[in-house]
Amino acid sequence: MSWNDSMIKQAKKIIKMYPQKRSAIGPLLHLAQSKDGYISDDSTAVISELVGITEVQVKSVSTFYSMYKQEPTGKYLLSVCKSISCEINNSKEIIDVVKDFTGLNNNETDENDLFTFEAVECIGACGGAPAMQINYETVEGLSSENTIKLCEWLKKEQPDVIIAEEMQDNFGGTKSFDWAIKDQSGTTGSVPGFQTFNTTKEKK
Amino acid sequence: MKETLLLTKHMRENPEDSHLIDSYEKNGGYETARKTLINGSPENVLEEIKVSNIRGRGGAGFPTGVKWGFLAENEDRYLVINADESEPGTFKDRILLERDPHQLIEGIIITCFAANIENAFIYIRGEYAKPARRVQDAVDQAYQKGYLGKNIFNSEMNLDLVVHLGAGAYICGEETALLNSLEGRRGEPRLKPPYFPAVKGLYMKPTLVNNVETISSVPWIMENTGKEYNKLGVEGSTGTRIFSLSGHVNNPGNYEIEMGSSFGEFVESLGNGIRNNKKVKAYIPGGASAPWFRGDQLDIKMTIDDVANNNSMLGSGAVVMMDEDTNLVNAAKSIVSFFAHESCGQCTPCREGTTWLEMILDRVASGRGRASDIDLLLDVCDNISPGLSWPPKMTTICPLGPSAVSPITSLMNDFREEVESLIPTKVLL
Amino acid sequence: MSESIKINVNGNQIESAPNKLLIEACEDSGIHIPRFCWHKRLDPVGMCRMCLVEIETPRGKMLVPSCTTEVTDEMVVDTESEVVKKAQEGVLEFLLINHPLDCPICDKAGECPLQDQTMAYGPGESRFVEEKRHFEKPISISEIILLDRERCILCARCTRFSDEISGDPLIEFIQRGNKTEVNTFPNEPFKSYFSGNTVQICPVGALTSTSYRFKARPWDLKSVRSTCNGCPVGCSTELNSSQNKMLRILGIDNDSVNQGWLCDKGRYNFEYLNSEFRLKTPLKKLDNEFMETSIKEIYTELSDLISDSNTNINFLIGTNSTNEDYVAFNEFAKNFPSTNQTFYLNDDYLYAGFFEKGINRATIDDLNNSEAIVIWSEDLKENLPVLYLRVRQAVKNGAKLIVFGHSNSTLKDIADFYYSDDIVSENFEIIKDISKLKGIKEHVKDKNVTAIIGKSTPYQLDENLDKLVSYLVENSNSKIMNAFSSGNTFGAINNLDNVKNLRDFTKNVSAENTDLLFVVGSDPIGRSVFSNEIHRIIQDIDNVVCLDLFLHETSELGNYIIPTSSTLGEKEGTFTNIEFRTSRIDKLVPSPGQSLSDWEFISGLSNFCNFNNNIDSLDGLNELAYQDFDDQDSPSFKNLDKPSNFDGIINDYQPNISTELNENLTSKYFVGKKLYGDNITIRYSDSISLLGAKQFIEASESTIEKLNLSSGECTLKQNGHNVSANYVVNNKLADGVIFIPQNRRNFNRFDFSETIEISPNQSKEALNVN
Ligand SMILES: Cc1cc2nc3c(=O)[nH]c(=O)nc-3n(C[C@H](O)[C@H](O)[C@H](O)COP(=O)(O)O)c2cc1C
Ligand code: SF4
Ligand code: SF4
Ligand code: SF4
Ligand code: FES
Ligand code: FES
Repeated sequence: MSWNDSMIKQAKKIIKMYPQKRSAIGPLLHLAQSKDGYISDDSTAVISELVGITEVQVKSVSTFYSMYKQEPTGKYLLSVCKSISCEINNSKEIIDVVKDFTGLNNNETDENDLFTFEAVECIGACGGAPAMQINYETVEGLSSENTIKLCEWLKKEQPDVIIAEEMQDNFGGTKSFDWAIKDQSGTTGSVPGFQTFNTTKEKK
Repeated sequence: MKETLLLTKHMRENPEDSHLIDSYEKNGGYETARKTLINGSPENVLEEIKVSNIRGRGGAGFPTGVKWGFLAENEDRYLVINADESEPGTFKDRILLERDPHQLIEGIIITCFAANIENAFIYIRGEYAKPARRVQDAVDQAYQKGYLGKNIFNSEMNLDLVVHLGAGAYICGEETALLNSLEGRRGEPRLKPPYFPAVKGLYMKPTLVNNVETISSVPWIMENTGKEYNKLGVEGSTGTRIFSLSGHVNNPGNYEIEMGSSFGEFVESLGNGIRNNKKVKAYIPGGASAPWFRGDQLDIKMTIDDVANNNSMLGSGAVVMMDEDTNLVNAAKSIVSFFAHESCGQCTPCREGTTWLEMILDRVASGRGRASDIDLLLDVCDNISPGLSWPPKMTTICPLGPSAVSPITSLMNDFREEVESLIPTKVLL
Repeated sequence: MSESIKINVNGNQIESAPNKLLIEACEDSGIHIPRFCWHKRLDPVGMCRMCLVEIETPRGKMLVPSCTTEVTDEMVVDTESEVVKKAQEGVLEFLLINHPLDCPICDKAGECPLQDQTMAYGPGESRFVEEKRHFEKPISISEIILLDRERCILCARCTRFSDEISGDPLIEFIQRGNKTEVNTFPNEPFKSYFSGNTVQICPVGALTSTSYRFKARPWDLKSVRSTCNGCPVGCSTELNSSQNKMLRILGIDNDSVNQGWLCDKGRYNFEYLNSEFRLKTPLKKLDNEFMETSIKEIYTELSDLISDSNTNINFLIGTNSTNEDYVAFNEFAKNFPSTNQTFYLNDDYLYAGFFEKGINRATIDDLNNSEAIVIWSEDLKENLPVLYLRVRQAVKNGAKLIVFGHSNSTLKDIADFYYSDDIVSENFEIIKDISKLKGIKEHVKDKNVTAIIGKSTPYQLDENLDKLVSYLVENSNSKIMNAFSSGNTFGAINNLDNVKNLRDFTKNVSAENTDLLFVVGSDPIGRSVFSNEIHRIIQDIDNVVCLDLFLHETSELGNYIIPTSSTLGEKEGTFTNIEFRTSRIDKLVPSPGQSLSDWEFISGLSNFCNFNNNIDSLDGLNELAYQDFDDQDSPSFKNLDKPSNFDGIINDYQPNISTELNENLTSKYFVGKKLYGDNITIRYSDSISLLGAKQFIEASESTIEKLNLSSGECTLKQNGHNVSANYVVNNKLADGVIFIPQNRRNFNRFDFSETIEISPNQSKEALNVN
């Protein structure tokens, strides 16, 4: 097995949360994604063993969901919304700006493994359209200028923890609703920051 | 027009800390659950919910009391909260998760008490990382306080609650697909019959699946009685509802209102009108799956039945305004392409049909259309949703396929010239 | 009988059993509804949407898939309305937009539902002007199966089969929506013993087999129905040939036996028929060289030898013959009192079995009606493959499964109780009080039980099995199935008066007491654990007549070689399966050269010797086989060929198996047979020959560690006999148990009662294959 002991321990804890082992596949795949930035064949084999199903059954599940990446991703996963509310609020422009800045097409990762770009469907920020997520942390009310600034900032600062509030304050605009609370927790890597996956990070 | 704040009251009044258990409790939170568990009975809860006449907020609008009544007897039963909110235009559950997770947890406790359930899950879409963290923190706090786990509020009741993250699949909002997903399978909708969740749900055991907003309403109903809830709104659409307003409006956002006023009023007063004083060309009354209304139909009332009588649906409560400058073919393409991308691929008409529609629309939108494409679009639609009527007939397993038909029929019924104008008229053969 | 309900289809009243699926109810009444994904033996998924029909509901007419809708009383159905037709045409068009339409080079063309339905309902010309979905053209997903994803219509038959039926889900849907494809995991091929079934049920030419690819077009295929004689399950088959060459074997849905399925050995072990190495002319050994001769000359020489009724004759008989062949031998042997009508069957595992009065015999269907299934036998998956499927099915339907190890480790995952380690010893003896075992107390005592009982290994003592069987007979309502595992064993024990096993052969037969030995379709030297002794014995006998398809390690020792016809497709007759169910073997292709059926040879010889045996016609032999039965019940050709639901079961027959030797047999290893082996027919069937050639041993991880193996390869050594092998981790095996397959080349030459030295070869990586 190619997962270290602490990951295996984490995995076993996750499995215990569910009445049936197989239910844990979802979180285990997030865990795998947090390890490698994608779902490697190796991780697939580990999960198949942990849950007691075949590798191809795991793969059948992992390829169904768009957040489990089949190819390695960069440090920052830039997901720009292209669904209806964003579409009619110029999301095309935002997409073009990000493509230009990164030089990437949909689902591509740059050579430095810094950015992965994708145009995605609605991320539930339609009131603040156009919107995007960086490593699943949302920024709303984007303009082209601010989007470029955001990308530049990411490239220059290369923050380890991505925090929605920080990005929103510096680069965002109209919000879907009042976020109200100052939150200092965020994520690292192309996986949602969530306690169960050990991917939540506080900014010092 | 004013909002009526039931579910969003606490968060409005306590913007800084509405998500924390102390704040929630200071304002009377968990008292209703405590009282219900100690003094109430399951029958009584069910009765109140039935009297309230609340209908599901996930899209289908099924009466919640009736649904609970269908839950089959079994030693193991489950509650699954549908927080997969992915219908384009919709962001109402997000605010409830992010800003008032304890209200949802309290609703879950009462629901499980009523339905004699000891295991509940909240299935949150994977992209909602921040809301999920807040909910997980809230769940941890509730465990610490003894509001979850064994002998809740020192009663006989036990309840375990797991927060489960999805991974990017709109179809998992469909309740049976959600159950498959929660079982660690592909998020493919199950056949109904025979797999009705209330009978054969999670792990083939009877399961309640309810939307975040639906269950978040439960504490209010139990605190204030079903009768009081029933007084709000109009018959058939009782209570309040959180509408997500987006598109070309001055003040987009979530608004909690009693159902019954018109879309026009709503947009003018709460949405503060259309940007730059433009006119509305078309609008979507209930999420991307819903057929559109024209700009001259703004007087339709925001109730489940009024919208249905006008051949669309209130669905997830997402209202998207499109002003006079909107390129509707691109708008329709965006929606069709959404459904094509989100099709699970199980059934032939949806898997092949939605992609084909996307291809044809793409051709038309970019000026490469053919004269025959309008008929072709409609005929392909007809093969997914025979008769193109409302509510849709379907050749598919679930309503996702037919959802892709809605924007096209809207386009063709009301804005056909706009499509035709994009098709080169003189095609030399 | 259950009551029936009435439904109205297209204006006509039809009757149906309640709870039937609409598509089946219609089918039963002759109304065909087109379908792709629905398969009678698989759970309905309603995916293709081809079978949509309209039913009337309180809210008007509704389109529903007839494959997922159960009939209800008074249901009104329209299968031909305009709406239905439009929907079906729509589905077909959707399926075709991404279909390559390469019928001219497709194996399925001519018997392809998609092609047929396109002719019947399809759109005239394509309205789809875009680029079709592209995939790499056929990829091989196992040694024997190819997948062309462009042709696939995503009906999920193959994935459901491997998940629901065979339980080895190695083929699955990958991706979603329009990108969905069927595939396997990289480096994890579709390595299933049942993979050929997916080729058969694939409704298009997406799954094909290497053995059949580009070989024929359905319209010039000839076919007959027959019975697989690969093992005693006796699956119903359809044999297909073109230009007198066997090209394909399909499973036929026989409800009581194989329900349409075959194992891959039964399906693909036929290419040997066309092998250039087949014997074609009679041979005679002169100065250690085989010379071609004529059958007449052999008859003459043999009849000289046996003119004297005191000639000592022995028979070593294989399990590949028909019942009629066995009858012929049995009659022939009556001319020689010295034989005592004794036949040594080419089987290490044969023992007396459980046939006594007072024991109820089980049919395969009994599995479905029992509360518990008790298994102690050779590995079913390896040796009675389709019976393994039926056990899985019964377990899925709720029967409790109790397995006594270590041999059925493939059942461990689905067993409710798996008794190995501290309950069954390494010598295959139950070392606990049976009545105190939890599974037995709770699920067997006083319950309806079907037990599958046979020797787990040639070294298991009969009395160990006796104990379990007596417990079952005394304490439960049990039925017993004797799990003999090779070919037409049940036909042999049914038609030969006195049968013994190979161990008896080594003890009883010698050059001193044998003037003439007949070896019929047997290669014990190649696969028996008594190989060395048998080799010694046969070598010393002066006159050995071998009837066979090929020259092999045993037939090489013959003085006379008679080329024979294969029971697979080259002759007519009957076969008796594990339930004593007798069914037809039929002929489709000619046998090469001067080959004869066994009975033809014996009958010719008998005539030459002027014996008065009355064995010179097939019909006569068939009548003789069943002369003791009522005309009504006997599975004679006459009755079998009548179209009726005649089941062919002869249950009151008392076979005469008189194996004597049962002591002094010990083994330090767990010796058993794998499905594929180095058998002569597999060796000459190109598409599967490699599957039987790999040499390996199995043990649990910790056992392997104890052996200090680390590199994937090892060498087995004993008295100068060395075999290099892979080792495979099988953690279902109890610790300390080392499995050695006897049917891989050279393995059966070891003396398993003595220690074999197993040492690592450092070089190669662990190969996880068998
Ligand atoms: C394609 C599709 C997507 C859906 N997405 C959601 C969703 O994101 N959230 C939700 O609560 N219900 C969604 N639903 C509705 C659910 O199937 C189900 O009706 C609902 O969760 C029941 O809860 P309620 O009765 O409280 O509304 C969706 C239905 C379909 C057909
Ligand atoms: S309609 Fe689409 S999403 Fe729904 S089951 Fe069929 S293929 Fe899947
Ligand atoms: S390969 Fe054949 S059986 Fe399998 S899904 Fe495709 S069409 Fe169906
Ligand atoms: S199970 Fe036995 S009878 Fe059936 S196909 Fe396989 S070898 Fe032939
Ligand atoms: S449409 Fe872009 S966030 Fe909803
Ligand atoms: S046969 Fe009924 S849906 Fe495929």
